[in-house]
Amino acid sequence: MTGSRHGKNGLYLEGKKLKRTGFYPAFLAGGLLSAAFPVINLAVRPESFLSLEGSPFHILMQANWQLMAMINVLLVLTGACIMYHTEHSGNAILKMSSLPFREGSLFLGKALVMASVCAVVLLIEAASVLFCTIHWFGEEGMLPEVLIGFGFSFLMLLPALLCSLLIASVCKNMWVSLGIGVVCIFLATMLPKDDFVLSLFPFAMPFQEISGEIHKLLQQVPETVWKLSAAAGAESALFIVLEFVFLKVRRWF
Amino acid sequence: MSNDRNIIEAHQLSRSYAGFRAVDRIDLHVPRGSVYGFLGPNGAGKSTTMKMLLGLTTPSEGYFVVDGKKNPENRVEILKEIGSLIESPAFYGNLTGEENLDIIRRILGLPKSAVSQALDLVGLTQYRRRLARNYSLGMKQRLGLAGALLGKPPILILDEPTNGLDPVGIHEIRALIRSLPAQFDCTVLVSSHLLSEIELMADRIGILNHGRILFEGTLEDLKAYGLTQGYPTGNLEEVFLAMVNEDNGRRGMIR
Repeated sequence: MTGSRHGKNGLYLEGKKLKRTGFYPAFLAGGLLSAAFPVINLAVRPESFLSLEGSPFHILMQANWQLMAMINVLLVLTGACIMYHTEHSGNAILKMSSLPFREGSLFLGKALVMASVCAVVLLIEAASVLFCTIHWFGEEGMLPEVLIGFGFSFLMLLPALLCSLLIASVCKNMWVSLGIGVVCIFLATMLPKDDFVLSLFPFAMPFQEISGEIHKLLQQVPETVWKLSAAAGAESALFIVLEFVFLKVRRWF
Repeated sequence: MSNDRNIIEAHQLSRSYAGFRAVDRIDLHVPRGSVYGFLGPNGAGKSTTMKMLLGLTTPSEGYFVVDGKKNPENRVEILKEIGSLIESPAFYGNLTGEENLDIIRRILGLPKSAVSQALDLVGLTQYRRRLARNYSLGMKQRLGLAGALLGKPPILILDEPTNGLDPVGIHEIRALIRSLPAQFDCTVLVSSHLLSEIELMADRIGILNHGRILFEGTLEDLKAYGLTQGYPTGNLEEVFLAMVNEDNGRRGMIR
C-alpha cells in the first residue's frame, strides 16, 4: 500500500462525501435568498433608501445585513450538521479513523469545503449589493468597498463555522448539534451589539459589518475592526486546537 | 518488540471503562501469513482488543507491536499495513458502493482498478452503483469487507465478518478468508463467537473470556489441552464451551 494522500485529496474527498446530501443546493438557495433581500427592499421601497446621506454600500448594509447574516450563520450551522451526519449515520467515521491519515485533516478538509461554499455565498450577496448600488444609486465605483466589506464578513463567519463543526463532530446525534447551534444563534441575537466583549461570542461575530467610504476605510480602519479581526483569528485557531484535543481524548472513553 | 515469526504481538494489553475491565492483561501472538481466529462469547473483549490494535481505543495498560512497529508512536505507519472491518459495516449511506470504496482508495493512494478488484472479490460488482443505504445487511457486510481488502494490505483485522450473511454468503466469505494468505500473502485476524466457524478458517486460535485469554494455540493444541483437562472431547465446540464454563464457574457466574 502506498502512503497517505489524504492531505492532497482532502478538499476533494470531503466535497465528494457531500454528494446527494442537499448540502450544495442548500447553500446555493440560502445565498440566493439572502442576496434577494437588498434587491427586494430597494424594489419595494426605494425612496426610504435613496433619500439617505452617505455611502450606498453603508446604507444597504445597515438596512439588510442583520437578516443576511442570520441566513449565513444558519447555513453554516446546517452545513456543519449535514457534514458530520454523513460521517456518523453510517458509522463511516469509524472506518475513516482506521485509515492511515491524520484524523485532524478530516476536520480541516470539512472546514475548507465549508469556507469555500461560504465564500461563494458571500460573493453572491456581494454581487447583489453591487447591483443595487449601480442600479438604484447610480454608483459605479463601489466594487473595492463591497469587496472589503464582504471580506470582513467572511472573516467574521469563520469562528461560527469552526465552532459549528466542532459541535457537530463531538455530537453523534445531528439533532443535538443542531439544537445547540440554534440556541447559540438566538443567544447571539439577544446580545447587545455595542458591547465589545459580548460581540466576541462566535455566533454573534457574523452580525458585525464594516461599511463606509472607501477612502476612509483604507486610511483609518477603526480600532474595533482590528480587534474583531484578531479575535476572529484567535477564536478560529482555538476551535481547531479544541478539535485536535477532542480527537486525542476520545480514545480514552 | 515482536519477533519475525509474529506479525502482531500484544503484551499485557488491558482496557478499562469506568471500573469495568473489558480486556485484562492479554498476550497475543499472531503468526505471519496465518489466519488467526479470535474466539469468545459476546462481550468477551474481542472487538475492544481489535479496536486497540487499530488505534481506535487507547490501551489502559500494556502495549502491542505490529510488524515491528510500536503503537502509538507509529499509529499511521501501522494503519498503512492494516485493512479492517470492525463491528458493524461502516459506510456513507448517501454514496454508492463504488463511491464508498473510491474514497478509501484515494486515501490509500491506490489505482482506480483497485475498486473494481475489491468489488469483484466480494461479489458486489453488479450492485456497485446502488446507494449503500439501500444495501441489505449482507451487502453492507460485503462492502465493509471490500473496504478492508482494498489495496491487498499485509494484515487484515475482521470482526465477525460473516454477520448478517446468508448461508451461501457465509460459505463464500469463509472460503475467501481462508484463501487470502495464499492469494495475497497476508495475515488475517478474524473474530467470531462460533468455534465451528473459526475452525473452518483458522490455523491458530485465541480464546477470550471476560477479557482474559484462556487459550492460545493451534486446533490440535486445543484438542490436546481438552484431553489433559478432562473436558468432553467429542468435538472442539464442547472443549470451547467447557473451557468458558469452567472460567465462568471460577468467577462465580455459570452460563
